[in-house]
Amino acid sequence: MITLSGIRKTYGKTVALDGLELEVREGEFFCLLGPSGAGKTTTLKTVAGLEQPDSGTVLLGGEDMRGVEPYDRGVAMCFESYALYPHRSVYDNLASPLRSPRYRLPAAEARQRIGAVAELLGISALLDRPVGRLSNGQRQRVALGRVLVRPAKAFLLDEPLSHLDAKLRQQMRAELKAIGEVRHTTTLYVTHDSVEALALGDRIGVVREGRIVQTGTREEIWYQPYDTEVARAFGRPRINLLPGVVTESGVRSDGGVELPVRSRATPGTDVLVGLRPRDLALRGPGHELTGTVYVTEVLGRSVEVTVRLGTGERRVSLVAPRADAARLRPDDPVRLVVRPENLLLFEADRPERPGRRIETER
Amino acid sequence: MGWRLTLRPYVLIVPALLLTCGILYPFGLGLYYTLFDFSASKPQPDMVRFENYSTVFTQEAFWNSAWVTVLYAVGAALVETVLGVAVALLLHRPTLVGRVLEKILILPLMIAPVIAAIIWKLMLQPSVGVVNHLLKPFGLGGVQWTDTPTGALLSSIAVDVWVYTPFVAILALAGLRSLPTSPFEAAAVDGAGWWYTFRRLTLPMLWPYVLVAVIFRFMDSLKVFDIIYALTEGGPGDSTVVLQIRAYLEAIRFQRYSFGISYTIVLWAVVYLAAMVLVKHLGKIQRKAAEVTT
Amino acid sequence: MRKRLAGWVCDAALVLYFVFALFPIAWMVILSLKPTDQLFSTYFSFSPTLDGYRTVLGDSEGIPFVRFFVNSLVVSVGAVVLSLVVGLPAAYASARWRFKGSENLMFTLLSFRFAPELTVIIPLFVLYQKLGLFDTYVGMVWVLQLVTLPLIVWIMRSYFADLTPELEQAALLDGYTRKQAFFRVALPLVKPGIAAVSLLAFIFAWNNFVFPLILTSNEAQTVTVGALSFLGGDRPKYNLTAAAALVSVVPPLLLALTIQRYLVRGLSFGAVKS
Repeated sequence: MITLSGIRKTYGKTVALDGLELEVREGEFFCLLGPSGAGKTTTLKTVAGLEQPDSGTVLLGGEDMRGVEPYDRGVAMCFESYALYPHRSVYDNLASPLRSPRYRLPAAEARQRIGAVAELLGISALLDRPVGRLSNGQRQRVALGRVLVRPAKAFLLDEPLSHLDAKLRQQMRAELKAIGEVRHTTTLYVTHDSVEALALGDRIGVVREGRIVQTGTREEIWYQPYDTEVARAFGRPRINLLPGVVTESGVRSDGGVELPVRSRATPGTDVLVGLRPRDLALRGPGHELTGTVYVTEVLGRSVEVTVRLGTGERRVSLVAPRADAARLRPDDPVRLVVRPENLLLFEADRPERPGRRIETER
Repeated sequence: MGWRLTLRPYVLIVPALLLTCGILYPFGLGLYYTLFDFSASKPQPDMVRFENYSTVFTQEAFWNSAWVTVLYAVGAALVETVLGVAVALLLHRPTLVGRVLEKILILPLMIAPVIAAIIWKLMLQPSVGVVNHLLKPFGLGGVQWTDTPTGALLSSIAVDVWVYTPFVAILALAGLRSLPTSPFEAAAVDGAGWWYTFRRLTLPMLWPYVLVAVIFRFMDSLKVFDIIYALTEGGPGDSTVVLQIRAYLEAIRFQRYSFGISYTIVLWAVVYLAAMVLVKHLGKIQRKAAEVTT
Repeated sequence: MRKRLAGWVCDAALVLYFVFALFPIAWMVILSLKPTDQLFSTYFSFSPTLDGYRTVLGDSEGIPFVRFFVNSLVVSVGAVVLSLVVGLPAAYASARWRFKGSENLMFTLLSFRFAPELTVIIPLFVLYQKLGLFDTYVGMVWVLQLVTLPLIVWIMRSYFADLTPELEQAALLDGYTRKQAFFRVALPLVKPGIAAVSLLAFIFAWNNFVFPLILTSNEAQTVTVGALSFLGGDRPKYNLTAAAALVSVVPPLLLALTIQRYLVRGLSFGAVKS
């Protein structure tokens, strides 16, 4: 549905997009995840026709968009700044697309449509208010409403939830995917929040320095991250990355800890072993590691336990049910359990180049 | 990229470009004229190359005018800056007097400079002017304001100060209003005195704003014309013939067009150089002010 | 106690400055109301009369002051309108797209602001006589662009630059053309700026003196030159001069009071925003 190939965009000497490749399928909810400055917004604006790429092609529904004006592309976009017209009321903002030459509706129909969208987003009571007097949350809904109010081939949403407080963000996240229009329309959603990406995206594209590093479903991103940086980006607490050396039988980490990851890597290679905090447990079947408790932190029903592994100073975190971890005190000896199939293996990080994932053998 | 997209901004500025060329044309024409000996008495001029300029620079009248111009510009800019900043500081205090007076601060600035000069000319008239009348009780009647060389220059500067002090004050006041409050609160907590706060905080942070005003005032007063023309016409003698007045006399009075324009070109170069130096300085000052704030 | 004393001293200093600033205007009012026979015999006590204004506005001194007033109005409005029509698109373009042509244009316009007027006027004086533009409205409107165009372009650029381009981009995606996005979104948002800068440009055009002094003689002469001509002649007519001066400062003063809030940006060419 949306295909970007070889998109390059520079502003003076800064390279915003550096050969970006992206394919969003019909009806899909695609999340573009990356830190600020990675080129996410530029990507959206390139799709919308608001920025002209220096090179590369944009296809929408199979059609080359070169030279096609934004108003002829049939996409709707929600800006991070919301871009609401400050001098007009909520109603007029929502009506704006429906009064344009492109999407004009008869006044009565427009009123009906706006009423329905306002109802859906819970902003019916605000319609007469000037935009200047709305809270951030309300503005965000109006901005979303302006996207939903008219027919669109695709929705482009630029960090629509980023200015909301935590509670509201969680609520809107749940609502967003429940909206029928969003469910049925191809959506390209930009965010810097990995939790949001995992919760919303049918597929996720990880952007770094103007390029897509990895595209995949949340399972693919989670279990087969492209490199250590992608692995670090997802999951809180962060993935534990233990430096080690490949041996005949697996990997030996600092402090003499043996980990059962087998790979084709030649023995003696420096590697990082990734253990997700949620994949470590205090009991159950699996490979056992020993260590001493460093610190514990209660997170509601679960506890984050940080453990010093083996005899070394290397520490790993894990999240365990409260029942298992309640009695642990610092310096208590513990046994950790990990399923070998959940271990990830990466090349060691080098400056400017995060370590790539190494395929493990089961 | 579609050619329409590339072309659009150019289409938008074309009218302005054309109009600008309409103003640049006479400027270029003037520059061209300076290479000839074009005058009303010689409508078919001969090429004299740079003779006009060499005549300018060897004339005593030029150096006199240049000196008067610099005196005027430095004097006016200096007094206006000090007075303007002082007025701004006084107005910045939250008092009723200040709030009322601020509303009328701009009045002199909006009066045409030539009209201001007319007004002052009437007031400074030695025998019947109101200024001497008001000074009489202080034993200072009969001052020959615009009839002595020094008096004429000082009077002209006074009119300039009367018109343009509000300009500096308005910019300085805008600067004062935009200063961050936290450094001042910190200084107050530390028990810093008024003078210390002013010298170490207010002034460095305010300086960029003031300098913008100074740049405008200095460069504008280098090319003063209206005030002198109406107040002294350059007199008595040559004592207030600033460069633009000299150019006017040469070009329009004596109708030696080429020679008159040469004067303005030299002045233009001086203004341009002054601008370059001041703007460069402004950049430095702005960076320094940013350091104080952080 | 010391603090209150300091406060009084400050207030007194302020009042002193404002006496200096306002007395000349007040004195003009007094002078303009004096009858001719009491002009030099008294200072503050006299029998006020509007005769001075009647004479000035009745053209009875051989100086057609009313026509000069109308001329000022016509050429100032004309100059502002032309600058707006030509300058707004340029200001918008150079705020939205930084490109070489626009930067050169902006710099050239800024240098106009600081160029000595006579550099341009003397050649124009020669040129206008050849082209038949001497002492005409068209000639005045043209040359006043030197004053109004840089002001309007520079300040409007700063207003447009303050406006996030995303508003217009949103309009494009709402289905409006670029022209519609400009007229329906950008323009309404900078309307206060346009109003303020137009008035300021009008004031500067109105207050200009060199251009009409050299490039007009009678038909297109304006009030600033006209007011000065009351000073000529063998017997100084102080009351008439004062009346003429006052009449000619009324429009700029009234307008100035309405745009106080926007003055700072205008006066500093957009360098200082309030």
